[in-house]
Amino acid sequence: MSRFVVIAEARDGDYRPSTYELLAQARRLAGSLGGEVAALTLGDDAGLRDRLSGLAHRVISIGGAGLAPYSADGWVAALGSALDALPARGAAPQVILFGESPRTREVLPRVAARLGAYAATNAVDLFEDGGRLLLRRPVYGGKAYAVHEIGAGRVLAAFRPHAFGADAPAGLPTAFEEVAAPATESRVTVLSSEAGAARTVDLTEANVVVAGGRGMKGPDNFHLLQELADALEGAVGYSRAVVDAGQAEHAQQVGKSGKTVSPTLYVAAGISGAIHHIMGMDTAKVVVAINTDPSAPIFGYADYGIVGDALQVLPALTEEIRRG
Amino acid sequence: MVVLAKEVPDLEAMVKVTADGGALEVEKRRGLNFFDEIAVEAALKLEQSAGASVLAVSAGAGTGIEALRRALAMGSDAALLVDDPALEHADSLTVARALAAAARREGFDLVLAGKQATDDEAGLVGPMVAELLGVPCVTNIIGLQVEGDIARVTRETEAGRETLSVALPAVLTVEKGLAEPRVPAVMGVMKAMKAQIPRVTLAELGAEAQPPLTLAGYATAPARPPAKMLEGEPATVAVELARLLKEEAKVL
Repeated sequence: MSRFVVIAEARDGDYRPSTYELLAQARRLAGSLGGEVAALTLGDDAGLRDRLSGLAHRVISIGGAGLAPYSADGWVAALGSALDALPARGAAPQVILFGESPRTREVLPRVAARLGAYAATNAVDLFEDGGRLLLRRPVYGGKAYAVHEIGAGRVLAAFRPHAFGADAPAGLPTAFEEVAAPATESRVTVLSSEAGAARTVDLTEANVVVAGGRGMKGPDNFHLLQELADALEGAVGYSRAVVDAGQAEHAQQVGKSGKTVSPTLYVAAGISGAIHHIMGMDTAKVVVAINTDPSAPIFGYADYGIVGDALQVLPALTEEIRRG
Repeated sequence: MVVLAKEVPDLEAMVKVTADGGALEVEKRRGLNFFDEIAVEAALKLEQSAGASVLAVSAGAGTGIEALRRALAMGSDAALLVDDPALEHADSLTVARALAAAARREGFDLVLAGKQATDDEAGLVGPMVAELLGVPCVTNIIGLQVEGDIARVTRETEAGRETLSVALPAVLTVEKGLAEPRVPAVMGVMKAMKAQIPRVTLAELGAEAQPPLTLAGYATAPARPPAKMLEGEPATVAVELARLLKEEAKVL
């Protein structure tokens, strides 16, 4: 008997795509191992919760003054007390699943420290093998994977976008419950916030990423990346060389010192494929590389390779995709 | 100021899964974590303006000295190694307990750490230390100013960037872009090589190790089959690629 709790993170009038993916995987595992799936929402809109109907056995919503606007202190206190209260509510969880996000990265470790629970981030799979519940996560930038067994003791685990398909059978009878978060005062104050050139969420969660490197020969040609990305409903990323040259924002950098992406399709245009870059995209499902240099390392990590000038291949590909 | 300094294998180090899948063989080229190096630089910059001292702290089982020597060579005033056999393959929470106990014992107004280490990329220890110390935490900062007992920090968000104020003492984790780590001068390297770095054990700090999450084994990253290379005029390869993505890879 396993119990799964999925932290449902709301954003822009819906839950994050990862919420639906994690709930689907939890339903699959609860189906094969036996168990219960609960979704935990924090300070969200009551109207939104209907979208979770049928996707979990219970939806437990934490409400309270400390949750909106978001503060790490408020969320840590709310999650800490709600997770501690679950056993008394008949829902002692074995695994608490988070989608990777900036909030997860600042909240999950603190909740784990508060509860004395295990913590694992950056995970790419949670699966059953011979009745055992296992979690897989890349280490050393994807050079190897560590597989952990989840046994006694709560585990807070964060999973990368696209780790699971969201298409598991639904239709569970869902009970909706509400709990109140303890009053918390944030020790951090937001002084100002400004919108950037690109929303990085589009990059880390995008189903398709079109990334450009030095071979794009400067910002004048970056519209070619954007046009292909638009045709594929994807997002644009850049290599470190481009960001270090001041031609793109660090927030759009794919690689070891930038963002890690796991899209279904990754197009590397004019990127040589330094190991730092590979570490940021190697879990992509399908990789297309376009480079003038046939010995570029990126071809060693690609499914499809085109030796050619990205400046000519990109527009041709965009046209072909638009044609359908 | 306390800087958390993790010793990690070099990014280019060879990593191999042993034949039985039970362990990893990692080439012994070790150094200070890329993001922690940025944290050391940020601390040294603050030190110049605020006149505080910089203590680098690392935790390991017989490891960590290389990272601390780098921090000293860059200009840190002192270093401390929590050295304990129980830290071998330790859980992040155990490491965080060790570092938090060391920071508490030495005293701090500010703890700086990299946003994550380049080996496990977990990003857990910094915020865990904050929680254990009972102080606020801001992650992934790219800007930092300290005025009295308030820190003003900037960080990238999913929509752009934001500026926050944090009451000190606090833990801040740093992102690339906050500071450009200096290359240590020869004199600094010589001094760091000779430095006697004090060591403490978990017991001396009153910190407790917890058993880590059970490791079932390691697996090699699934290798992609050799790339299918397409040749010809841009228009021709574009048609062929679109067809393959649709019919073979089924991603369109």
